[in-house]
Amino acid sequence: MKKVLAMLLVLAMVCGMLVGCSSGTKETTDGGTGAAPTKAADNTEEPTNPAENAKEDTITLMVPPVSATYLEKVRVWADEFHQLYPNLTIEIIETSWDDHAEKLSTMALAGEAPDIAEVSYSMIGTYAELGVGINILDYMDEAALADFDKNALDYMSLEGKTYGLPLYLSIQAIGGNKEMLEEAGVDVLDVQQNGWTFEEFKTAIANGTKDNRFGFVFATSAVTASDMLNIFGISAGLNNAFTPELKYAYTSSNMLTFLQAIEEISASGYMPNYGVDASQRMVMCQTGNAMIFGKAMPLFEGNINKNNAALEAKDGTAVEGSIPVQYAYLPIPTMNGITESCFGTVDGLMAFRNTKTTDEHLANVMLAMNYLCSGKIAADVASELYLDAVCESGRAVIGDYLVEGRDENNLASASRQMGLVVAPPTGLTADMSSKAATLMEQVIAPKLQALLAGEVTAQAMYDEICKAAYKEFGQENCVSGAIQ
Amino acid sequence: MTKKQENKTKRKRSWIKADDISGYLFISVAMIIFAAFTVYPVFSAIRTSFVEYKPFGSEFVGFENYIETFTNALFYKSVKNTIVYTVVVVPLSLVIAFSIAVMVMAFRKRTQSIFKAIYYLPGIASGVALSVVWLWLYDSSPSGLFNRILSFFGLSTQNWLNSSKTSMLSLIIMALASSQGSSIIIYVAALLGIDNSTFEAAELDGASFMQKIRYIVIPLVKPSTLFLFVTGIIGSFQVFMNAYMMTGGGPDNNTTMIGLLIFNNAFVYSKYGLACAQAIVLAIIIAAISFVQFKLMGVDVEY
Amino acid sequence: MSEMSLYSKHTRNKKVLYLRNSILTFLLVLGAVISLFPIVYMIMSSFGPATDSASASRTIIPKIWTLDSYRAFFDFNKYSLRWIWNSLLVAGLVVLGNVVFASMAGYAFSKIPFKGRSFLFFAVLVAMMIPYQVTQVPLYILIVNKFHLSNTYASLILPGLVTSYNIFLSKQFFGGLPTSLIESAKIEGCNQLNIFARIVVPLSKTVLAVMAINTFMSTWNTFFWPFLVTSKDSMYTIQVGLKFFKFANSTLFGPMMAGATISALPMFVLFFSLQKYFLEGVTIGAVKG
Repeated sequence: MKKVLAMLLVLAMVCGMLVGCSSGTKETTDGGTGAAPTKAADNTEEPTNPAENAKEDTITLMVPPVSATYLEKVRVWADEFHQLYPNLTIEIIETSWDDHAEKLSTMALAGEAPDIAEVSYSMIGTYAELGVGINILDYMDEAALADFDKNALDYMSLEGKTYGLPLYLSIQAIGGNKEMLEEAGVDVLDVQQNGWTFEEFKTAIANGTKDNRFGFVFATSAVTASDMLNIFGISAGLNNAFTPELKYAYTSSNMLTFLQAIEEISASGYMPNYGVDASQRMVMCQTGNAMIFGKAMPLFEGNINKNNAALEAKDGTAVEGSIPVQYAYLPIPTMNGITESCFGTVDGLMAFRNTKTTDEHLANVMLAMNYLCSGKIAADVASELYLDAVCESGRAVIGDYLVEGRDENNLASASRQMGLVVAPPTGLTADMSSKAATLMEQVIAPKLQALLAGEVTAQAMYDEICKAAYKEFGQENCVSGAIQ
Repeated sequence: MTKKQENKTKRKRSWIKADDISGYLFISVAMIIFAAFTVYPVFSAIRTSFVEYKPFGSEFVGFENYIETFTNALFYKSVKNTIVYTVVVVPLSLVIAFSIAVMVMAFRKRTQSIFKAIYYLPGIASGVALSVVWLWLYDSSPSGLFNRILSFFGLSTQNWLNSSKTSMLSLIIMALASSQGSSIIIYVAALLGIDNSTFEAAELDGASFMQKIRYIVIPLVKPSTLFLFVTGIIGSFQVFMNAYMMTGGGPDNNTTMIGLLIFNNAFVYSKYGLACAQAIVLAIIIAAISFVQFKLMGVDVEY
Repeated sequence: MSEMSLYSKHTRNKKVLYLRNSILTFLLVLGAVISLFPIVYMIMSSFGPATDSASASRTIIPKIWTLDSYRAFFDFNKYSLRWIWNSLLVAGLVVLGNVVFASMAGYAFSKIPFKGRSFLFFAVLVAMMIPYQVTQVPLYILIVNKFHLSNTYASLILPGLVTSYNIFLSKQFFGGLPTSLIESAKIEGCNQLNIFARIVVPLSKTVLAVMAINTFMSTWNTFFWPFLVTSKDSMYTIQVGLKFFKFANSTLFGPMMAGATISALPMFVLFFSLQKYFLEGVTIGAVKG
């Protein structure tokens, strides 16, 4: 009996679907234009509410847990926004960190992207190519844009179009155990304030290597291999995939120098000669098995301090076998004749086109986006990540949001390094940016994994990169010789 | 034509008619669901493979996506990787599952059920959690579990997932050790379906154990073998999760499978048209292999 | 008479029998240890403390036993229990749909000679060969854009209601049933529905149980599709919820494994409750004779 009932239910559902299907097929043929009637159907109360600027509108926002407390707070901020603009509602779609990109990508491909979504700057080219990005310069007033740092805004721009607002600029370098560093003869404060040379770094890690302890560990397992190039390439002057003249930079002699340096230190015994999992790098520092570790962010000071407190309280929540560590956030060492710099990535909120997008709606989207990227919200987000805000209004109030008990020297080191970050060159096209991303994923990162495993030489790897890059961009658009 | 024959054909024809109707009724619900949620997306993917896909206005590009597919070195490498993986994993899985199913049969019901449960359990846990455990087993540092075992026997530790020499092997071992549950119970179901009198008759003829396996069991479980083989090929050619979670395709693209390449093209590079073209090429490869297999093993094993 | 007569019952020699069973037990236990290790480790770690640990200090049996991770899961979201219920409902209905409709289709494909049978079955098979990565986008457009079903149970259930895999599985199994049985029933005036319900289904409990457990397991473990079509936490399935749980606690081992253990629990129960059907087996010979 139950089965029959269930069968009937299912049949009913199927019939319902078929009806939906026949009315839906018309839309398939004309793709985007089908959006207009849908929009009209959604806003049935439109005619009954003639007041133009009070028209009800819902803005969808899709965000992953940017920081530990972000998702909780964003709900509060959405409510505050609604109080400020009672006709506008922000509907939040929460995602998990691992799967955010794939969900966004699927929705965008389906033409159903949320109005606003969190993206890494490196994905902007791909979405722009797909035709789902919106040039916010057309919809946002100058005054609101002027609040944001140009450097950070450049990350969100391609070919003179800006696709979103920066939420935070994350700097990635290395960190270490201060006590051990000093023991190894490093003047930590001086390094934090003035940077250091690659030679000094090599001496330090040689001195820091003991029984059961590596001078240096860098997580390079699986997909993290590209971090090594992004973050350490800085030491050889490889700030970006393109030079300001828009030539492809990874074919330069700097690349070869960098690869040889990696080859040298990975064979030196001062760093593990096997792949280290991302989750293990900081743990190795905390348990005293490593002196310097990477990649490291200023934020790790919080994790390490928390562990120190747990050790003191002996409540069993500390990392097993860990020792008290004083965390020092360090700049990347610089090779001869190279201007010091720091690797940065910008994550921001990007505006997306979907089947419901209209100009009026976009104006509301801009309001919400600006609200969520500036002022106290910007300050709060940046400060949770131990970073500086990237907008004037955020910096003005960041003092109120600073995490208590932060190490002054680390704070100074972080803000100094933030100033050294070089944004991707302006005038980069979406095509160039996506080609560079593909080269990175399909050639450079895989070869780098092989280099780290000792299966390919620096020279051979460099030759492979040149070959692939010449094919992709043409030799005339690639740097030959040195940069800077 | 005699009257008798005529009668027979007539009767047969009327039977066929009734069969047609009941056949269609039996498959109706399945086919409606299938048409909506499988056929439609598949046709959509085929159409997409001929365009440069953009959600708001795709551009027809003819065979360009296919040409790009066949001129891309990484595509060939991923096909090669996938074939290596499949050629090792699918037959070995069948042998392992079949052997375990047969071995389990020697015991009493209670023991049988315990073993079956044990072998089925690993399939129950979600893949993500298990891959985290496997990451620890394969940890390349001297403290990874497999490396501890190697050192215990005085062997040198391995750079498991981070070396071109061992990364594919690691994925293969993981697949063989963790996903036999379904195959085992399907084989067990097939073995239980074999009539005991067949064995008894064979035994009276003095057949040995291996002879019984060779001449009775293997032919009689053929439908299950064919099923497991074809679905195994399909699953193995589409394998994605393991490489995605464990190696990201590395090192040096040595574990980049077609499934991962298609995924990256679709969702990382947003070259959805290209991804569809590669998916269709993949489907054609799988279909060709399955077709040969059907021919070799016979489409219908009738008794 | 519980053992199968594939193994000789006429071995009078107790020693040989003992030796044979010992070897088999050894092999099976060895295999079992290998295949069980990850899941045992998963369950063990779920009772460990919610802390980071260096791989060097990891042990299979936790040094401190605590239920913190489990407590954290149920405190994490007010919908924690509802996620389990959602998963049960979705997986339950998908299993029902498959057991009824996929087996009917499988039966028709193997035993009813209707026109177009080979072509349609071929289509079912070929459809399995297109990887889901590329059909995911059109399916999403269909469910969300055309049918407006996001955040509904229908969106979670419909795409899996009848799978090609199960049609194929049941077709292969029914192909092994003696056609003479069906023919004779037909001559006695049974219609196909009667034959299916009265003769075929009772003979096929084993394969239907296998289908049920496999379908339940794969639906239960599906993550990405539910993640895609739900955005309200009241509609999450357990797998979607677990992802958020994982990140609420960064990637700590204990809580993650506790989540995985909780999500595996209903399947243990289902597996053991369906076990008797795997074991019964059906002696077709008896029916035939």
